[in-house]
Amino acid sequence: MKCGVRFCGGCNPRYNRREALNEIESRFKDIDFVNALVGVPHDLLLVIGGCTNCCAAYEQFDTKTDVMKMWDVDHIDMIEKQIKEKIK
Amino acid sequence: MLMTGAQYIESLRKMKTRVYMFGELVENWVDHPIIRPSIDCVAMTYDLAHDPEYADLMTATSNLTGETVNRFCHLHQSTDDLRKKVKMQRLLGQKTASCFQRCVGMDAFNAVFSTTYEIDQKYGTAYHENFKNFMIEVQNNDWIVDGAMTDPKGDRGLAPSAQRDPDLFMHIVERREDGIVVCGAKAHQTGTINSPWHIIMPTQAMREEDADYAVSFATPSDADGIYMIYGRQSCDTRKLEEGADLDLGNQKFGGQEALVVFDHVFIPNKYIFMAGEFDFAGMMVERFAGYHRQSYGGCKVGVGDVLIGAAALAAEYNGAQKASHIKDKLIEMIHLNETLYCCGIACSAEGYPTAAGNYQIDLLLANVCKQNVTRFPYDITRLAEDIAGGLMVTMPSQADFKSDVVCGKNGETVAEICDKFFSGSPACTTEERMRVLRLIENMCLGSAAVGYRTESLHGAGSPQAQRIMIQRQGNLAAKKELAKAICGITK
Ligand SMILES: Cc1cc2nc3c(=O)[nH]c(=O)nc-3n(C[C@H](O)[C@H](O)[C@H](O)COP(=O)(O)OP(=O)(O)OC[C@H]3O[C@@H](n4cnc5c(N)ncnc54)[C@H](O)[C@@H]3O)c2cc1C
Repeated sequence: MKCGVRFCGGCNPRYNRREALNEIESRFKDIDFVNALVGVPHDLLLVIGGCTNCCAAYEQFDTKTDVMKMWDVDHIDMIEKQIKEKIK
Repeated sequence: MLMTGAQYIESLRKMKTRVYMFGELVENWVDHPIIRPSIDCVAMTYDLAHDPEYADLMTATSNLTGETVNRFCHLHQSTDDLRKKVKMQRLLGQKTASCFQRCVGMDAFNAVFSTTYEIDQKYGTAYHENFKNFMIEVQNNDWIVDGAMTDPKGDRGLAPSAQRDPDLFMHIVERREDGIVVCGAKAHQTGTINSPWHIIMPTQAMREEDADYAVSFATPSDADGIYMIYGRQSCDTRKLEEGADLDLGNQKFGGQEALVVFDHVFIPNKYIFMAGEFDFAGMMVERFAGYHRQSYGGCKVGVGDVLIGAAALAAEYNGAQKASHIKDKLIEMIHLNETLYCCGIACSAEGYPTAAGNYQIDLLLANVCKQNVTRFPYDITRLAEDIAGGLMVTMPSQADFKSDVVCGKNGETVAEICDKFFSGSPACTTEERMRVLRLIENMCLGSAAVGYRTESLHGAGSPQAQRIMIQRQGNLAAKKELAKAICGITK
């Protein structure tokens, strides 16, 4: 299973977005977290914003399920829950 | 096409750009130790576009070709694009702590795109088509282009055509069937040598008698008749010292400015965007300046982020980080820096579509942004110098910290004595303390201060230029009516 990841550009992030992704990845050994690509189908799509604005564009990516968005390090548990729901 | 930084640097080697420095022609300017950090700085604008962590800011979809392009080559299609421009600039400032030189071109693209459209509407010229075709070339080649506006200007009290030397303002000296010939120069040009192309714009609004000075065009930087004389920066020759590292503060990156001379340069018709339509010179200047005043709400903020981080480290290395006034000064620096960012974001969010379709910033808010930029970096550097302590300007050189010359009675070397007397808290080595203090020096009064301080003051127009725009846009009459309505004045 593939989860496309789209980062915002990180101009003023309030937490380490890469480390947050590493933490999420560590909780799902069977999911392949890849950089989201246009024209490639993704099972899941995760948008990682650095602040509440979460400004990354993601409409250009295909996903089989609703987009998941996070903009705070405290959202890691929420994203874990959402992924579990979606892959049930 | 999206070039990598390495491809960009290789592309420069093909240029025949003529560069003079310290009175000599520079043969291999790509590898010159004074110039190279500025080239590496531009290279970051290419490399980050390939990094998935930053691609959302660094790239956009071209309205001209539908292709993914570097955002520095993009014509803004929405207020979202305008905001992302500012965010991208902040990011680059953070990554380079210097002027990364690619904004002037982006601001010129957007100003010339919309102005040429309106010139054509009035005069039936074909400048907009010329410019669109040029833009497609820019995007397809991922070029950095120098946005060249500022003329040397000679006697500031005189109009261009009244100067004792006509070349003090760029002007047309010959009109031919196939193009024009121009003479003049552009001063203070950021990234000029590092840019394979230039876009020339008039420096100010023009009157009818100055019609030959109302000229805008694009030209390759190595065209016949063009040459550059390098602008020296504070502490620049430190870069020539053998093994230069610690004393530079920022060994990797730097900015670049130069005088660009145009000695009878031929411009073919297809690269001409204005040639005598003096009534549109003011529009082009105002739009370029507007975008560029917005830009500073991003790039200077990113550099400020680095300086604030350096000051916080210096406080830790001095062992003073727990003092309440130090904490408060760091808060003040953040407050000032984020205020600039607020202005950059606000003038972007309030942007609007031009007749040509690309988006322009809110002019009043962009001028307020730049007016703050003429002040706050000075306040921020003052606070950084306060926190750093005097050592940032009195510290011995890298050579002393590495010297094995014996100077002490017990056989201590100069390096050992420096290490002993310049040590700070146990949180750092003496070398680490020296590194961060040199970085602060570099940004506050060394070569990066060119970009962080004086460019903040004069770049995109001196403070008075913004005050004139604020006065024009501020609508005092409406404010007086508000006051009258509240206090019961009816006349
Ligand atoms: C680091 C740096 C990078 C730059 N990069 C670029 C670039 O890439 N492209 C570009 O085109 N330009 C660039 N500039 C130029 C910048 O836009 C100019 O410095 C700015 O417009 C001011 O012009 P000036 O330096 O000639 O100063 P001046 O115009 O001489 O101004 C000096 C002072 O005199 C005042 N003054 C000037 N004329 C008058 C007058 N007629 N009446 C009353 N007061 C007057 C000004 O308000 C100011 O206080 C850069 C400048 C710097 C410092």
